[in-house]
Amino acid sequence: MNLFSIIFAAEDPTQSHHWLFPEIGEIVYGSLASLTIFAALYKFGWPAAKKALEARTAGIQKELDDSAAAQVQADADATNIRRALGDIASERTKLLAEADAQAAAILAEGRARITVEIADMEARATAEVLAARGRIGDELRAEISHLSAVATTDAVRAAMDDRTQQELVDNFIAKVGASR
Amino acid sequence: MSIAQINAYVVAMFEIALANDAVSAVEDDLFRLARAIESNEQLRAALNDTSLPADRRQNIVEQLLGGKAHNVTVQLVSLLVGTGHISLLPQVADALVKRASSSKQMEVAEVRSAVALTDAQKARLAEALGKVAGKPVNLKVVVDPSVIGGLVATIGDEVIDDTVRTRLDQVKARF
Repeated sequence: MNLFSIIFAAEDPTQSHHWLFPEIGEIVYGSLASLTIFAALYKFGWPAAKKALEARTAGIQKELDDSAAAQVQADADATNIRRALGDIASERTKLLAEADAQAAAILAEGRARITVEIADMEARATAEVLAARGRIGDELRAEISHLSAVATTDAVRAAMDDRTQQELVDNFIAKVGASR
Repeated sequence: MSIAQINAYVVAMFEIALANDAVSAVEDDLFRLARAIESNEQLRAALNDTSLPADRRQNIVEQLLGGKAHNVTVQLVSLLVGTGHISLLPQVADALVKRASSSKQMEVAEVRSAVALTDAQKARLAEALGKVAGKPVNLKVVVDPSVIGGLVATIGDEVIDDTVRTRLDQVKARF
């Protein structure tokens, strides 16, 4: 029986004693049936519902605990990260200081080496200049000696007239003849 | 070429010159020619140039000797040119002069002078050098302008040097 048929049926005074209230018996049976259903629901449904609620509560609590633990872990991680950042900064400072120290050492070593090399080059250059001066002096003396010899030879050759030649020949003959 | 081969040339040339009664002329001609070849590089190169025909080289020798050389000398030099041994002429000539001198019981005296000597000077010089050698000398005079003045005489291993060239060298050595 659907709702419209009930309503139309209720409007029919011949079908019920009142258009709104049911029969007493229906009220009693209905109440008993309802109580029975509620009792059954309480008996059998409530523990399951309670258990489900408790499980949900436990789940929510667990999630809260996990969140709290995650927050603690996050805080710890944040602390570690902040400490690590501090370490990185100090390491950077340390590395920069070491790099500066190394650069200064290399610079000092390079300056010292260049100073030594410059001194060595100056010494070699001085020695070469002195050697070149001596060599040029020797060459100059040799050239002067050669030119002097050539000039002397030319002068002597020019002075050797026929009479002188004959005198030299006669002197040679006389000297050799007188030697033995 | 070995010394034995040079000696073979010397013996052959000496015997040919002796047979023609021209030992003095031949050894004198050869000595002068040898000194000329020694002092002239172009002449030496031309005579040693085997790419030139032998008859052309012989013509050079004949022109060089001209009519001044003995006929036997010309023939002997042509022989050396023809056999391609003209480069040996200085050694052959020196050995021939020595052999000719030995055959006459003489010592070879080579004298270098800046100027040519007169016959009188040569005679006096030969006499003077003979005293040094202890026996007559076969005087060979080479005119060598490089000595500038004076003479240098070589008798065997002995050298008597009184040249202006040597005196200049001694002065130069002091500096």
